[in-house]
Amino acid sequence: MPKRYDAVVIGGGHNGLVAAAYLARAGRSVLVLEQRPLVGGAAVTEEIFPGFKFSVFSYVVSLLRPEIIRDLDLPRHGLQVLPLESTVTPLDNGDYLASWADPDETRQELYRHSPRDADTLPVFGRLMHHMAMAVKPILAMVPPDPGSLAPSDLAGLLRLGRHFRNLGGERFRALYKLMTMSGGDYLDEWFECDPLKATKAASGIIGTFLGPRSPGSAYVLLHHYMGEIDGAFRAWGFQKGGTGAISDTIARAARAFGAEIRTNAPAERVLVKDGRVRGVVLGTGEEIAAPVVVSGLDPRRTLTQLVDERDLPTEVLEGVRRYKFRGSSGKVNLALAGLPEFTCLPGAGRHLRGAVSISPSLAYLEQAYDDAKYGEFSHRPYMDIVIPSMIDPGMAPPGKHVMSIFVQYAPYHVNGGWTDQRREAFGDAVIGTLSRYAPNLPSLILHRQVLTPADIERITGLSEGNIFQGELALHQLFFLRPVPQWANYRTPIRGYWQCGSGTHPGGGIMGASGRLAALEILGRRRPSAVVSPDR
Amino acid sequence: MTDAFDAIVIGGDANGLAAAATLARAGRRVLVLERSDRVGGDTRALAFAPGFRAAPLALDAAWLPPRMLRDLKLDAPALAPYECPIAVASPGESLVLPADPSRAADTIRRYSTSDAAKWPEFAATLERIAGFLAPLYQRPAPDIATTSSAELLGLAGLAWKLRRQGRRHVAEWLRTMPMSLQELLDDWFESPVLKAAVAAGGVRDIRQGPRSGGTAFVLLHHLVGAPGGSVRGRGYWRAGPDAIPATLDLAARARGVVVRTDADVARILVSDYAVTGVALAGGEEISARLVLSSADPARTIRLVDPAWLDPEFVHAIRQIKFRGATAFVLYALDELPGVPPLPDATRALTGVVSLTPTVEGLERAYDAAKYGRMSERPHVEITAPTLRWPDHAPHGKHVLVARAACAPYRLEDGGWDAAHREALADRVTDVIACVAPGFADHVMHRAVLAPPDLEERYGLTEGAVSHGELTLDQILFMRPVPGWGHYSMPLEGLYLCGAATHPGPGVGGGPGWLAARQALRGATR
Repeated sequence: MPKRYDAVVIGGGHNGLVAAAYLARAGRSVLVLEQRPLVGGAAVTEEIFPGFKFSVFSYVVSLLRPEIIRDLDLPRHGLQVLPLESTVTPLDNGDYLASWADPDETRQELYRHSPRDADTLPVFGRLMHHMAMAVKPILAMVPPDPGSLAPSDLAGLLRLGRHFRNLGGERFRALYKLMTMSGGDYLDEWFECDPLKATKAASGIIGTFLGPRSPGSAYVLLHHYMGEIDGAFRAWGFQKGGTGAISDTIARAARAFGAEIRTNAPAERVLVKDGRVRGVVLGTGEEIAAPVVVSGLDPRRTLTQLVDERDLPTEVLEGVRRYKFRGSSGKVNLALAGLPEFTCLPGAGRHLRGAVSISPSLAYLEQAYDDAKYGEFSHRPYMDIVIPSMIDPGMAPPGKHVMSIFVQYAPYHVNGGWTDQRREAFGDAVIGTLSRYAPNLPSLILHRQVLTPADIERITGLSEGNIFQGELALHQLFFLRPVPQWANYRTPIRGYWQCGSGTHPGGGIMGASGRLAALEILGRRRPSAVVSPDR
Repeated sequence: MTDAFDAIVIGGDANGLAAAATLARAGRRVLVLERSDRVGGDTRALAFAPGFRAAPLALDAAWLPPRMLRDLKLDAPALAPYECPIAVASPGESLVLPADPSRAADTIRRYSTSDAAKWPEFAATLERIAGFLAPLYQRPAPDIATTSSAELLGLAGLAWKLRRQGRRHVAEWLRTMPMSLQELLDDWFESPVLKAAVAAGGVRDIRQGPRSGGTAFVLLHHLVGAPGGSVRGRGYWRAGPDAIPATLDLAARARGVVVRTDADVARILVSDYAVTGVALAGGEEISARLVLSSADPARTIRLVDPAWLDPEFVHAIRQIKFRGATAFVLYALDELPGVPPLPDATRALTGVVSLTPTVEGLERAYDAAKYGRMSERPHVEITAPTLRWPDHAPHGKHVLVARAACAPYRLEDGGWDAAHREALADRVTDVIACVAPGFADHVMHRAVLAPPDLEERYGLTEGAVSHGELTLDQILFMRPVPGWGHYSMPLEGLYLCGAATHPGPGVGGGPGWLAARQALRGATR
C-alpha cells in the first residue's frame, strides 16, 4: 500500500517550498521531494571549502514577494536580509563610478562624471518607480489566455486592458518602450555617462542570451527597481547565512504548517492514468500516491522528462521544444586569505560591503556578448561581485573572506563543449580580468570553484544551466510562459501542475510562481485582481 | 500671397501623392510641392554613368493596401507585381527559392529532406501571421490609451478577427513578433543556407543582426500582402520602379491636384500654433490651412520655427532611431557576369541574390556597425534591374545593384570620405567576385551610395531607407514618436504623411492615404 498525500511537490527549490507551504497552510497533506541532500535548488548555501560558506548559485535577494513573507510569517522562521548598500564600477582610467545607499551622495558622485546625468537620475528613478508599480500587479496575476473565450480568461484580459488604460497614455507608452527596446538604446535616451549606462544595462542582460544592444534587454532593468517599492527591505541584500538560509526559512515555514520534506529523494516519474495524475515514482522504485502533483522543475523536465510524452498533445511538446533556455552565465566562488585591493578605491572601504560591477562601458558588455554569440565564453566578461563575509562574518573563518562572482557570458553550447580544461580557462579569464582592477586578487586566492552553465545544469538540474528556468525574453513572458494556453500553472494532465520559474512571472528568488500555482490549485482566483498604481 | 489651395502636400513621392489624391477626392483643392525635377521620391532612378540609370531603393514592389486602391479607385491589375525568385549563392553552392512552395520544397530537398517537408507549412505560417498585420496596416494604429470608444470597438473587431482564425494562432502571432530571426528559423529548419535565405529578408534596412529580438517582425512586415510562399517581399513592377507614384500622380492630377516640381519648401508658416501655409526657397509664399509633409519628422520640424514647437515633441523626434545602415554600389557592366554556382543566373539576378550563405555571416556583418565601423565582410545582395527594365542601360549593357549591410551612417573614424566609399566598393566587388569570377573585368563604371549620399539624394535623414527603423518600439502607435501615432503634429493643420508614420516603409502610399483621411477628420490628436 503506497503512502498517500493530498499533494506531492517535486523539487525543493524556493518555488516548490513556497507552493508546499501554501498548500499545507490550507490544510492539505503535502510531501516535498528533493533530489539533493539539501533543499533550495539554486538557492543554497554550501561549505564548499572547509570554513568557507558560499551562496553557491543565486547570491542576492530583492524580489521575494512581500505577501509571501507576510503569509508564511518568514521573519519568525529566520528571514533576515542584510542590506547591500552600494555598487562600484571600476573604470579603465583608474577612476570609479559609485552608487551609494544615500541618494544624495549617489547624485554627487555622478555629478563628478556628468552633471547632466546627475540631474536626470532622480527623474529616471521616478519613472522606473512608476513602471515598477505598473508591472507589480501583473506579477501577482495568473496570465489570462488571449485566445481563450472562457469567462475567467476574458475577465482577466479585460482587467488587464483596463489596467493598461488606467496607466494613461504616457506611462503605457513608456512601459511599452521598456518592454521592447534594448537596454543600451533605452538608457541612451536618458544618460550620457557610459559606465552608468553600462552598469544599469548589465542588470538587463543577466540570465538572457542578449547583448545590451539587443532589443528586449531593457525590460529586466525594472527588476532592479522592483524590490525598492515594497518597502519591506532594501533593493538588494544578503540573507544572513547565505541564500540557502532563505530556502531553509521557507522550508521551516512549510514544516510548521505540516508539510513533509524528503531530501535525497529524486522523483523518477510522474504516474499518469487516463489523462489524470496518480502519484510519483521515486528513483528507488517507491511509489507515492497523490491526486495532485506539482513540479517546481523547469518546463523541459516537467513536461518531457517526468511524464511520458504520449500523455501530452503534440503542440505542447512542440512548444516546450521551442522554449529557449540558452544558459549564458557562470559563477566563480573564491575563498580568499584577505581583502582585495581595488586600484580605484584602495583600502578596505565601504565599497567592499556592496557590489562591484565590471561594466566599464556599453561597448565592453557588447563585446563580451560578441564572444558568446559565436560560441566562446567572454574573454573580458561582465561580472557582478560581492563579498558576503564583509556583511555576514559567519560565512568565512576569521580574517578570511568569500567572494562571489557572477559572470556573463558563458554559453551553455560553448564551442567544443565544456571540458575541465575549458572550465579552468574560463576561470582564468575571470580572475585575469578582475586582477586588472584588483591586482592583489590572484595572490589572495586559497580556493576557487568555477561553475559553468553545464555545471549548474548537472548540480541543480536547471536545463542548459539557465538560472531563470528559461530566458526572460518577451516571447517567453506572461501568457507565453512556458507555452501558450498552459501559462496558468496547469498542464494538459489533470492534477499535474507546474510552479517553477519557468512559469509566470519567473526569475529571481521571487516565489511568486510557487504562490500563484498553489492558489490556483486551491481554487482561489483572487490573484488576477489588478489594482491601479498610485492608489 | 496666393490663396487658391485648401491643402499643401510637401513631397511628390508615393505617400505625398496618395495623400493629395485622397484629399482631392474629398473635394479639397490640393497643391503638391516637389523639391526635385520630377515626382517619385525614393523610387526615382539616378543616372550614375552615361546611359546607365538605377533606382536602388525601389527594386522591390511595395504593398498596395486593397482598401486604398478601392478608396482611390486605382487600377489594381495594372499594378500587379511580377514575382521573382530569391536566391543565396556562395562559391560552390546555391539555393534558389521560387515563390511556389512545392517547387521551393524541391530545391530545398537537396539540402535537407526534413526542411523540405516543413517548407510549405512554414510558408503558410508566415503568410497567415503577415496576414494578421494587413488589417492593422489599413487603419490608423490602434492605441490602448485612446479614449475614443469607436477606436476601442475597432480594436475589439480586429481581435475577434484574429481569434476566429483559431485559438492557437493568437498566441503564435504574439509570440512570433518579438522573436529574433535566428530563434524563429532554428525552431523550423536545420539547413544553414535555407535559414540564411529567409533571414536576409528580416535584416533589411535595420542596424540589427538576425539574433536581435524583433527581426522576425521585420521579415513579416515586408511580407504583408506578398504572394503566398514568398519569404522576401512582393516581386517588382513591370512598368518600372516608379510605377506606384506614376499611377498616383495621374490619379491625383485627374482629380485636379496641382503638382509643382522644382519647388523646394523652405519654411512651414505658422501663426498662433496653427499652420498658415508654406514659403518656398525662392521666397514665394503659398497659404493653406492644411499642410501634410511626406518628409520624415526630423526634416519636417526643421521647416518650422522652433518657437512654435513643443520641446518634448522635438526631443521625441530627436530620439527616433533612423540609423541608416545600408549602402549601395551601382555597377555599369559591359555584360552580365556568369555566376557559376547559380543554375540560371539570368533568372536569379532578376530577383535578389544574397551572397551571405549563413545566419552567422549576417550577424557578423552587423557586428562592426555597433561600434561605428564598416563591416569587413558586408552582407551583399545583388540584383540586375536591367533584366527587368532594359531601358536602364544602353542596349546590350547591364546594371548591377549591390546592396551592402552594414554600413553605418556614422563612422567612428571620421565621416564618409572618398577613401571610405572606395574601400566599401572594393569589399563589395570582392564579395561579388567570389561567386562571379572575372566580375571586375566587366565593370565599366561604379558609383557608391553610402548613407550620407542617400540622405542627400533622397532626403532621408541619416540615409535611413526605413524613415526610422522598424523595431518594435517604433511601429504602430509608437510611430513616428510615442503619443503622436495618428499623423497629426502639435500644430493645428500640420500632419506627417510619409513612411515615418504608420504603417511605415514598403507600403505604397499607405501612410499618405491614412494621414489624409485623418486630416480630413480634422482630428488634432
